[in-house]
Amino acid sequence: MGIEALADRQLTGGLAELPALIRRVVASRIRDANAIDDLVQETLARVMTAQARLDDSALAPYAVVVARNLLSAQWRQDVRFKQHAHRLIDLTDASRPEDQVLQREESRAVASALAQLPEGERQTLIAHEVEGQATSDLAAKSGSTAGAVAAQLHRTRAKLRVEYLLALERTRLPTERCRPVLLSLSGGERRRQRELDAAGHLLECPECAGLSGPLLDRLDGHPEGEEAIIAVRSDRDVVRARQRGREIAAQIDFSSTDLTLIATAISEVVRNIVRFADHGQLRVRVIEDAARRGLLIVARDVGPGIPDVDRALRDGYSTYGGLGIGLPGVRRLMDEFSIASELGKGTTITMAKWVHA
Amino acid sequence: MATVNQTEQAHQISVSILRQGAYLIASIHAALDDEELGRFQRDLIRQITKSRSRGVIIDVGALDVLDSFGSCTLRNLALMARLQGAVTVIVGIQPDVAFAMVHLGIHLEDVHTALGLEEGLARLDELTGAGGARSARGSA
Repeated sequence: MGIEALADRQLTGGLAELPALIRRVVASRIRDANAIDDLVQETLARVMTAQARLDDSALAPYAVVVARNLLSAQWRQDVRFKQHAHRLIDLTDASRPEDQVLQREESRAVASALAQLPEGERQTLIAHEVEGQATSDLAAKSGSTAGAVAAQLHRTRAKLRVEYLLALERTRLPTERCRPVLLSLSGGERRRQRELDAAGHLLECPECAGLSGPLLDRLDGHPEGEEAIIAVRSDRDVVRARQRGREIAAQIDFSSTDLTLIATAISEVVRNIVRFADHGQLRVRVIEDAARRGLLIVARDVGPGIPDVDRALRDGYSTYGGLGIGLPGVRRLMDEFSIASELGKGTTITMAKWVHA
Repeated sequence: MATVNQTEQAHQISVSILRQGAYLIASIHAALDDEELGRFQRDLIRQITKSRSRGVIIDVGALDVLDSFGSCTLRNLALMARLQGAVTVIVGIQPDVAFAMVHLGIHLEDVHTALGLEEGLARLDELTGAGGARSARGSA
């Protein structure tokens, strides 16, 4: 998806209504105003992370599902906290034996998921991911092209994720539509999602709604992929954030020019947080789709919000006495760029850059 | 060549300001945060008056990013220096940084630039119509 398509969606699409929708869902279940703000922002950030993999019509239903999942996670956390409030020990340290059990559970789930894959796909996946064979070598062996192998690997990984989650959660899918819907979400196949009315299904089917979170809001399969979360409070964090972002970006094959563009874009958005909002955070991680790798950057703040997003995206508009650059300039530095802002609540900017072959 | 501002040690590691004849040569050695950049701006402006400098070189060769705020600070510095009768030349903008600046939409048209220190000094000689640094260095 190009910048233009994203811009159009930002201006015309349903994204503008998402914050209000999410707020209604969240506010109907909890009262604490701060918790509501946090959950709305968190939901927005997750929806925008998944945006590239979702059909437009699925954005609103997905947002509702994410908000519900977060609410129940929050509720579980609260209950756990209350139950253990009288203890003065660190619970994370006390859970070692449980961790081991969890690890065993996970390897069992991986084995079971791998067993569900067709033989040929399983072998190709293992040759690529475990033995480290390049897609071009695999293509030469099978008389195919590197691109076709990469696309097949993408579909295989999508299947593996679904089977892994099903094995891990020990979920039985209630309807015949469930598996195809989950596969289309996992693979980010928007056309297939439309055909299946994946969005509608998510709202009806609690099992699929529960699984959709980990499928869409995931750290993509790059083995060294890590997510950096940088808290932003003062202007010192501007330099720190762009240096950290550059480090993460340097893990994949960006040119030195692209690394500079990325660091510059981070510098701009983080400075906006410092200038206009009280605090915020930056998340940076490596992502991957069918044929390429890239860097995803999400900048969130708890601040006044942008009154007129359209205007803020126009060249020459600047809210402080800078050079009148701001967001339109940042958009030019990146391949993908979108904003969701809610007045009085905060702004989330999601942007990505792909490695160009 | 005399080191100026030796007493102010707080950010001397990231920045140095040297006097060479009628010129000042300021080098930024590491990424500066906004506050440090602001302090650098104030120090340099004061130093221009103190040294009665006619030309200023700002070497940004060590910077891997020049964002809108950094560029704005440099431009304002050049404007303030001009009000004091000094010409500013910015040198050492890296190729990737130049590429990023143009894409971001930063136009430093009203600021003199040169590739490196040598070219910058030659440019200052041209602009001030004198061999301020040349004579001080005692060679052409």
